[in-house]
Amino acid sequence: MNPSPKKLHIPVEHTTLANGLRVVASPDRSAPVVTVGVYYQIGFRLEPQGRSGFAHLFEHMMFQGSENAGKMEHIRLINSSGGLLNGTTNYDVTNYFEAVPSNALERVLWLEADRMRALKVDDENLRNQRDVVKEEVRVNVMNQPYGGFPWLDLPPVAFRNWPNAHNFYGDFADLDAATLADVQSFFHTYYAPNNAVLLMLGDFDPGEAFSLAKRYFEDIPRGAAPPRADVSEPLQDEERRGEVEERLGPLPAIAIGYTLPVRGTDEWFAFGILDRVLHGGRAGRVYRRLVLEKEIAVDADGHAEILDTNGPTQMVTRIFHKPEFTSDQAIAVYDEVIREVQEQGIPLDEIEPVKVKFRSDFYSTLEGGMGSYMPRFGLMHYLACFTLFDGDPDRVNNVLDDFLAVTPQQAQAAARKYLVPQNRAVLVRRPVNLGGAE
Amino acid sequence: MTSPIAPAATASHRQSPPALTAERPVAWPKRTVRMLPNGLQVVLAESRTFPRISAHLYFRSGNAVVAHRSPGLAEMTATVVRTGTASRPSRRIEEDLRRMGAGLGTQAGADASSISAAGLAEFSGGILELIADLARNASFPEDEFERERRQRYEELRIERTTPGFLASERLRRVLFGPHPYAIVAPTEEQVAAYERGQLVEYYRHHYVPADALLIVVGDFAADAMLGQIEKIFGDWKAPQPEPTRSPAPPKPAGRRVHLVRMPGNVQTQVLVGNLAITRRDPDWYRMVLANSIYGGAFHSRLVLNIREQKGYTYSPRSSINALRQYGYFTVSAAVRNDVVAATLTEMFYEMDRMRSVPVTDEELDSARSYLTGVFSLGVATQEGLLNQLSTVYLDHLPEGYLESYREHIRELTAEDVLTAARSHFDSANAQIVVVGDREQISEQAALFGPVTEYDAQGNVVFPPPRDVMQA
Repeated sequence: MNPSPKKLHIPVEHTTLANGLRVVASPDRSAPVVTVGVYYQIGFRLEPQGRSGFAHLFEHMMFQGSENAGKMEHIRLINSSGGLLNGTTNYDVTNYFEAVPSNALERVLWLEADRMRALKVDDENLRNQRDVVKEEVRVNVMNQPYGGFPWLDLPPVAFRNWPNAHNFYGDFADLDAATLADVQSFFHTYYAPNNAVLLMLGDFDPGEAFSLAKRYFEDIPRGAAPPRADVSEPLQDEERRGEVEERLGPLPAIAIGYTLPVRGTDEWFAFGILDRVLHGGRAGRVYRRLVLEKEIAVDADGHAEILDTNGPTQMVTRIFHKPEFTSDQAIAVYDEVIREVQEQGIPLDEIEPVKVKFRSDFYSTLEGGMGSYMPRFGLMHYLACFTLFDGDPDRVNNVLDDFLAVTPQQAQAAARKYLVPQNRAVLVRRPVNLGGAE
Repeated sequence: MTSPIAPAATASHRQSPPALTAERPVAWPKRTVRMLPNGLQVVLAESRTFPRISAHLYFRSGNAVVAHRSPGLAEMTATVVRTGTASRPSRRIEEDLRRMGAGLGTQAGADASSISAAGLAEFSGGILELIADLARNASFPEDEFERERRQRYEELRIERTTPGFLASERLRRVLFGPHPYAIVAPTEEQVAAYERGQLVEYYRHHYVPADALLIVVGDFAADAMLGQIEKIFGDWKAPQPEPTRSPAPPKPAGRRVHLVRMPGNVQTQVLVGNLAITRRDPDWYRMVLANSIYGGAFHSRLVLNIREQKGYTYSPRSSINALRQYGYFTVSAAVRNDVVAATLTEMFYEMDRMRSVPVTDEELDSARSYLTGVFSLGVATQEGLLNQLSTVYLDHLPEGYLESYREHIRELTAEDVLTAARSHFDSANAQIVVVGDREQISEQAALFGPVTEYDAQGNVVFPPPRDVMQA
């Protein structure tokens, strides 16, 4: 054990406005910058059936104009205040965020309130962003080696319920079918203050920041409680396998996913640690065995999206193996790694350093994220998830304790129960051309 | 949580955005700069919100010094450096890193090689000792070298199916010609020809304290940190490498098109570029501002035009790329195949507009605020601050560069922007690279200049090779 590591305490204050909007503030006056985010509890997992990709297309529409800030005004207002802005669509949330010098806090709140109140967009905006989104899909998926691997490939193999199993970026036919009426109806259904959390981080006085939040947001009318898609999965009784063609890349790639235990349970915490025993670059057991010892793979790593999802989610390992081996050979070596964890457990002198690294990575995530220009992005993201999924933003100050308390016995037990064929899916990306491009 | 009651915004409050409040000054992190007797420059900056440190050790030589004999050798050397030292086998290094909550990166670009680690502040001594061990005692185990060489080979095969990589590789070739900056990656054959002895030799000559730079940012007291660094790095001595000379890049000789064939691609990667300037050029700040208005920000003319008005692309941008000896300006977008010509038309139209018509006051104000604000964001995290410091010290920029950056930007005028665009947006001589399906794009590309076509390996495939010199 390490001698009394420095314990980090993040100041967190929160309130709920009369219209149901949750507001969370974390002051830090060390630099004259603030990061502001609005998180809506609607992600691609929750988008309506038959409307694949709509949550993401809609995210683009939120930059196209609102009641008092027309097209490009959002972007101009933030950029000309010295700030950056973006939005992302995730499994269970969609977020909009800005990092600005602290003298622009009020302006950012005005802008976010304006687009929470009313979206003002037309057919031309929709046509334009549909084209932009198609190029986004092409540049990130269709025209990239291993594009969409495995985040788009694996869910349709792993899951049976449409919300978990569909194409999150969207089929082009579904994108083409989207209408302006769909956009407004989606906005009214999911973008109500009572389905959102506002986050403010950085250089401000919390009393002033809360009063500004009240001033701009509190009279936005509350909406009806949005419908919640049933995201539960039917019981799985055998391993699921799938294969997808890889048009560009020359190496076979394998994704192996195990569905995680339910959020917040002891077994879920155990997986936070187990994930880092197996993965985490060259130190992880998977890389060590497949790349360094057996030399069957050229890369092997993985990750469990553990803190920022709220529904069926997998711990996923990605393996790029040498073409002279078969995928089954690579999977067999991977299975040895899993079997060893299940049968022999994890020695204390391995699990304790893994926890030190877990703690360090957690702090690192809180400080940055989205490049070097979005201070405290990770803290904002976790505060939002703890608020929306667990009802407790202050969880950011004690969640680490629960991961660090996982014992070798708990990790081994979780491995035995969850790292089994009837809880896993395997997806292979098979190159059509082992020689690559012309 | 309770908060003071504030009146709700009235309807008029809602209609226009609130003014900015008074700006708070940037409080520059406490910075300590020392030159150790062995030539190692040490830069320390305290940033104490999170209990971590980040330490980067840089050597001011990279792939450029070996490009003429073994492209990518500095990068291969950096990769193998992390796989073993005289006292630590590879596995021990990885275990030590975990124990300290640390991550490690060893890499090399054109102008520098680096060993960097970040981890918990409570282990800062151990983290620095590990960096020093890798810098001084790397053992280059034969089996590790062979494995990393094979991995590099496979990575290259993947890179040569990546449109963005192929575009930048081709552009660097045509812009830099005989200069080492022309080469961004080795060929598969060159990787196969690396020998362990070459790596050891590169390491012995270039991983030396003279002309090296150590930057540490994070949660520490500078005095104690400096003492620790002197203890760990103070007795390290080695001769400084001889400087190398490189042939100059070719003089601009008109616009040409370079098409890299990727049959069946559903999108075309467009990359336009010309030689420009380094950070030490008197026009640097002018160029930063001109780039920002042209295509360097979300609210820029290029993004407004080809994304928000025309929907040709998701990802248009322009950049100024400053290497140590030369810089170059680029404009890029991945576009659907039927609008390649239309995209190039708009890119050049916007370049020429920047060259011929002064920007508006509104654009000027907006861009100046953007650059000064974003600069403050960029130094507000440990990694961001470290990146900024490395830019300043690696390139030997003036000591007050960071502190005066915002002032320099605020002083610029529309005339400055025009000057920069006229000198460095070289639309008449820009080189055009398009990567994609020639059946769908070659006629469009040919409207902009004589076309040379290449395969993904860089071989000229059209016109027939006897007619052209391969750059």
